[in-house]
Amino acid sequence: MTETACDHIMRDYWLSKLFFDLQAPAAADEYRAGRDRVLDRYPLKPEVRLAVVQEDVTALAPLVNPYLLRFYFVAIGKSEAWFLERIRKTGPAASNEGARG
Amino acid sequence: MARAWEAVDAARRDAISKTFSDLARRVVEAKPDLLLVVSPDHWVNFFLDNLPSICIGVGETHKGPPEPWLQHLPYGSIAGHPEFALHLARTALDGGFEPSLSHHLELDHGFAIPLWKMGIDSLPPLVPIIVNTIEPPMPSLRRCLAWGDLIRGAIERYPGRLRVAILATGGVSHSIGEHDMGRIDEAFDRECFEQFRSADREGLLAFLERRLDAAGNGAAEMRNWLVAHGATQGKGFELLGYHPYPEWYVGCGFAAWDLGER
Repeated sequence: MTETACDHIMRDYWLSKLFFDLQAPAAADEYRAGRDRVLDRYPLKPEVRLAVVQEDVTALAPLVNPYLLRFYFVAIGKSEAWFLERIRKTGPAASNEGARG
Repeated sequence: MARAWEAVDAARRDAISKTFSDLARRVVEAKPDLLLVVSPDHWVNFFLDNLPSICIGVGETHKGPPEPWLQHLPYGSIAGHPEFALHLARTALDGGFEPSLSHHLELDHGFAIPLWKMGIDSLPPLVPIIVNTIEPPMPSLRRCLAWGDLIRGAIERYPGRLRVAILATGGVSHSIGEHDMGRIDEAFDRECFEQFRSADREGLLAFLERRLDAAGNGAAEMRNWLVAHGATQGKGFELLGYHPYPEWYVGCGFAAWDLGER
């Protein structure tokens, strides 16, 4: 497949790591019980941490793989309708186009 | 699909169940000694720390799906076939391919749901092949087809009689966690089937090069189909069913490649 800018996509590693780790049910339980305590263990950039706290789908979407993004909002208890409403407002994010095909 | 099974009406659930059964019947009738399953890894075994393009599961056993919503499935431990898996790895390395190897994989819903819905009572030993279809950069479409060629060669050169069935999972069009999540591109899906049926490898690759990107991030899983297509040299492609169910966000396509070899 022809190389595109998408092949050079850079994820936010620590945000991705947070979402990845929360796939473990015990970790998700701990996060729901005390989000800030868990976030303190991840060296997130201030603006990224703020986007997490504000549940800002638009800001987070370009930073992380879309499967992990969807998973995260399920893990913190958001409904599918809540997530769909927000993700569909993001538009085709250039930084995530590389995760397609 | 598994989490929202009931979201689809009974008539359409029955229709897709019949297609799963048709697929299962073909696998059972082939009497395979092992099942080689080509599937994605949805952030279970691999992460950004270590993200292989291709990984062969060479273990004596594999672990079943870790997803909490699949714990009721009868796949706590799945037997592997290390002899063939290592033979495939050797064949690959000798042939200019460098797969990652794992002696203990967890097989997530990409593996488990098709096996479960096919309802095969007794699974033969399973060799998993994980293709990175989740995070770019992904293996090229042409390379996936070449992996199929390589697998066919490994089967033919295996020292011993072995009947191998190949199950490629995933696809067709779907978008998950993106701005167009839930969109199914039926036109793409149907054209895709025609391209596979044509057995014109260059035409198929050209079509996918041109259209895959726009069919949703889940459509990247058509790489798995390309592996199967390569392994069968594109012979005997038959569309078994197409179930574009918006409730599940997926254009579910089912096909078989019948080599006519019994």
